[in-house]
Amino acid sequence: MAIDLSRISLRPFKLTDVDDFMLWAGDDQVTRFLRWKTFTSKEEALTFINDVCIPHPWRRSICIDDRSIGFVSIFPGSGDDRCRVDMGYGIATKYWGQGITTKAVKIALSQVFKDLPNLVRLQSFVAVENIASQRVLEKAGLLKEGMLRKYTYLKGNLEDLFVYSFLATDSFPVVDP
Amino acid sequence: MEGGGNEFTGEITLRPLELSDIDDFMVWATDEKVTRFCSWEPYTNKEDAINFINTKVISHPWFRAICLNGQPIGAISVTKNSGNDRCRGELGYVLGSKYWGRGIATKAVKQVANTIFAEWPHLERLEAIVDVENPGSQRVLEKAGFQREGVLRKYMLLKGRTRDLVMFSLLSSDPKS
Repeated sequence: MAIDLSRISLRPFKLTDVDDFMLWAGDDQVTRFLRWKTFTSKEEALTFINDVCIPHPWRRSICIDDRSIGFVSIFPGSGDDRCRVDMGYGIATKYWGQGITTKAVKIALSQVFKDLPNLVRLQSFVAVENIASQRVLEKAGLLKEGMLRKYTYLKGNLEDLFVYSFLATDSFPVVDP
Repeated sequence: MEGGGNEFTGEITLRPLELSDIDDFMVWATDEKVTRFCSWEPYTNKEDAINFINTKVISHPWFRAICLNGQPIGAISVTKNSGNDRCRGELGYVLGSKYWGRGIATKAVKQVANTIFAEWPHLERLEAIVDVENPGSQRVLEKAGFQREGVLRKYMLLKGRTRDLVMFSLLSSDPKS
């Protein structure tokens, strides 16, 4: 049965998210294309939520009925790169393939450009093998600009990445539902 | 004046830039045609130039003067990255404007491409980003065998204005031109 997407929201992380956090951040499939290593203990997760997620410039928990099922992070640039931010996201496998991540990214786009009024460009890099994530970005309205060959090591593998972007001047996607 | 592809009348070599090259350095570094797409403004005094050579050039991972018959007429450099990004280096170059359109920059880039991968075994990808409004520099990279990967929209600020930039790359596994 399809999930009612109006149950999806974004909010800052809380320490009390830790058990829900472990369900997805403790899963290799979720962290496979992230720089995050898979979490193996509740203690590790609590420290991470406290030291990294909560003080983060812009990290949100993707929630269903206010329960954490994933994250969206925005990393700002600085100096001559201050016109742009990098976006990353991940979600529990149980919620893959149902339009939930796409909805979360659409919400993030509208919130980020409001929170950072000087922001010109939001970009996201996706490994070429990660087809599902490419579809999320395309459905959310980002433009694929090209493929960057052998761009970086991700968990020891030299990766080709697609780069996607969304500009403040692009048409914002409709968020509901 | 004819366009690019003309034969230069002399030998092009690369060597470290020294303090004794300061007068030659000033010829290109004070020229606003040369610095138009650089992040820096033209130099206005020798002291600043000496300071640049002493602080930035001497300690640079890879910086060379482009010489015509032994005389510096420009510079070319490769930045180094670390950790997950050690596979990647960024190429940059400047050439005195009276030497434009003769294939000199292309020759210098090809010389870098032929040596840098051997000098830096961790390097897999040499990349360069060029302003969309700098077709001369785009042609240099194309002639040197780089692949054009895409346009990064409003990617960074150049002298306070956001710019669209073209990303080029040459892999250690690409055929040498």
